[in-house]
Amino acid sequence: MGEQWMFYFDPNRCIGCDACSIACKQRHDRDATADDWRTVSHLKRGEYPDFEDVPISMSCMHCHDAPCEEVCPPDAILKRDEDGIVTVDRDRCIGCHYCAWACPYGAPTYGDDGLMSKCNMCLGEGPGGGHGQPPKQKAEDGGAKPSCVDNCVGEAIKAGPQSEVMDEASEAAARRFENGAYGSRVIVEPIAEDAEAAEAIRSGEDDRADAWLNG
Amino acid sequence: MIELLDLPAFVEFRWLPADYWDLSIPVYLYLAVVAGGAYLTGASACFLRSLRDSGACCLESEIARWGFLVAVLSAAGAGLAVLSHLAVVYRAILFPIYLTNFGSWITIGTWILVILSVLAVVCLVLQLFGEGPANDEGASLFPRRILAWVGFGLLERLDRLVDRVRPPMAGFAALHVVGSLFALATIYTGFELAIVDTVPLWNEPVLVPLLFLTSGVAAGIGLTLGLTMLFEREIGPVFGGYALAVGVLSGVSLLLVGYGWSALATSDSPAAAASYVQLTDGLLYVGVWVVVVGFLAALVAGLVLGAAAVTGRLSPSIERLGGPALIGSFGLLFVGSLVLRLLFLLAAEQDPVVVVGL
Repeated sequence: MGEQWMFYFDPNRCIGCDACSIACKQRHDRDATADDWRTVSHLKRGEYPDFEDVPISMSCMHCHDAPCEEVCPPDAILKRDEDGIVTVDRDRCIGCHYCAWACPYGAPTYGDDGLMSKCNMCLGEGPGGGHGQPPKQKAEDGGAKPSCVDNCVGEAIKAGPQSEVMDEASEAAARRFENGAYGSRVIVEPIAEDAEAAEAIRSGEDDRADAWLNG
Repeated sequence: MIELLDLPAFVEFRWLPADYWDLSIPVYLYLAVVAGGAYLTGASACFLRSLRDSGACCLESEIARWGFLVAVLSAAGAGLAVLSHLAVVYRAILFPIYLTNFGSWITIGTWILVILSVLAVVCLVLQLFGEGPANDEGASLFPRRILAWVGFGLLERLDRLVDRVRPPMAGFAALHVVGSLFALATIYTGFELAIVDTVPLWNEPVLVPLLFLTSGVAAGIGLTLGLTMLFEREIGPVFGGYALAVGVLSGVSLLLVGYGWSALATSDSPAAAASYVQLTDGLLYVGVWVVVVGFLAALVAGLVLGAAAVTGRLSPSIERLGGPALIGSFGLLFVGSLVLRLLFLLAAEQDPVVVVGL
């Protein structure tokens, strides 16, 4: 069994430009109006005038426990042993949308044909393009860098084998990931500029900090 | 999640897109259990008839035939509803080849629904054709009249065929027991939603399946009784017993709805709060009342009239009003039980994506 590939996201470096989602569509030759495999959402906090938002780039997280694979009736979704990438065999998909119900991130999309397609970490190109492909290679070994990673202007998105991504993450992000934050499905950097919450957590005034840090 | 949100968190709500399902999904989730309830009615009526040792025209025979007929039609309706939702229908029709993930409730449910459908068809044919039904009378025998009208000797051939293959009493009993188990297994429709743990309205692995079963079975029995009562106005002890069962199941459903409602209202989860707002604001609020009124009407009518009929305390004047009252209340129950499933889908909200500052 190969090492699990996964995404890393740093909201502190994301400027919400949507280059990742557009690059994804171009790489996979998808129609401009098709549902995005990678989306940029704006998470909100507070009420006007104390209002903030932060852009979040999300796609299929290729979860270690892949809830979509568990519920797929025709076994069209496969969590690959060799690299952990979740692919879809559209020749088996019945278009029941059950995977969309189960996915915590809203990753599965459906085209006019009603069949599911989603991010395959640029293992292959186009809907279902990842199915049956050889194991994912790193860029330096001749593999294709995921298009979203390649085109992210702020280097907010990274992808790679879990151990390598963990090495690049901050200590707080790595600790949270190891403790099960986000279901240990993606490594997300904490937002650095939230000084008030940070101080409360560091000083121990906020006893919910442990729960948060431990996911 | 609660701890996360107590901190100053960035949150985005994300509704499950409505086109992930359409109206066919609640109809499918509903009719599958209605088929189960109707099958249970038919099988139990056959059992009661066997105790009476009377194969001739009797209320039990009518209830059995209507029950199996409703089961067949509901199962067919459920199948068509779910097929209409799929992108590649032929792969679903070839389910023994394509649906290979037996850990998926859709695969499990497909087998349950198909086997229940087959058993219901067999039971219906055995109740409609052969020497016994040929000498029987009743509105539920209308398929025989249709076949007689079609001609070509179809009716006679079917009667002969059924007499030839009719199983002995023990075979009938086994058929009904196995069929009843599959009828109860339509509880799977609740599990299809309950496995989605990111939707607080759904992620109750005991409550949701139990509610779907009790409400659907009550509706199945109620629909069978309503059809029977359209032609057989007498409310005897047998009828009263079934009405009592509908009342009890409706009461249990109402209790489960109440428990689920209070759990939703008191939940700290933001998605639960969003669902609660949806259900108490606007059109869905009307739906909530349709559900409550439906269960309440069937509870009161079923218990009062059913108990009176079982104990023989039904006066002729009340009996005259009792028929329409039961039909009306079971009609409300049928609608309310369907609306319940609609609400489950329309008020569904996934727990939001959360990023916390540090």
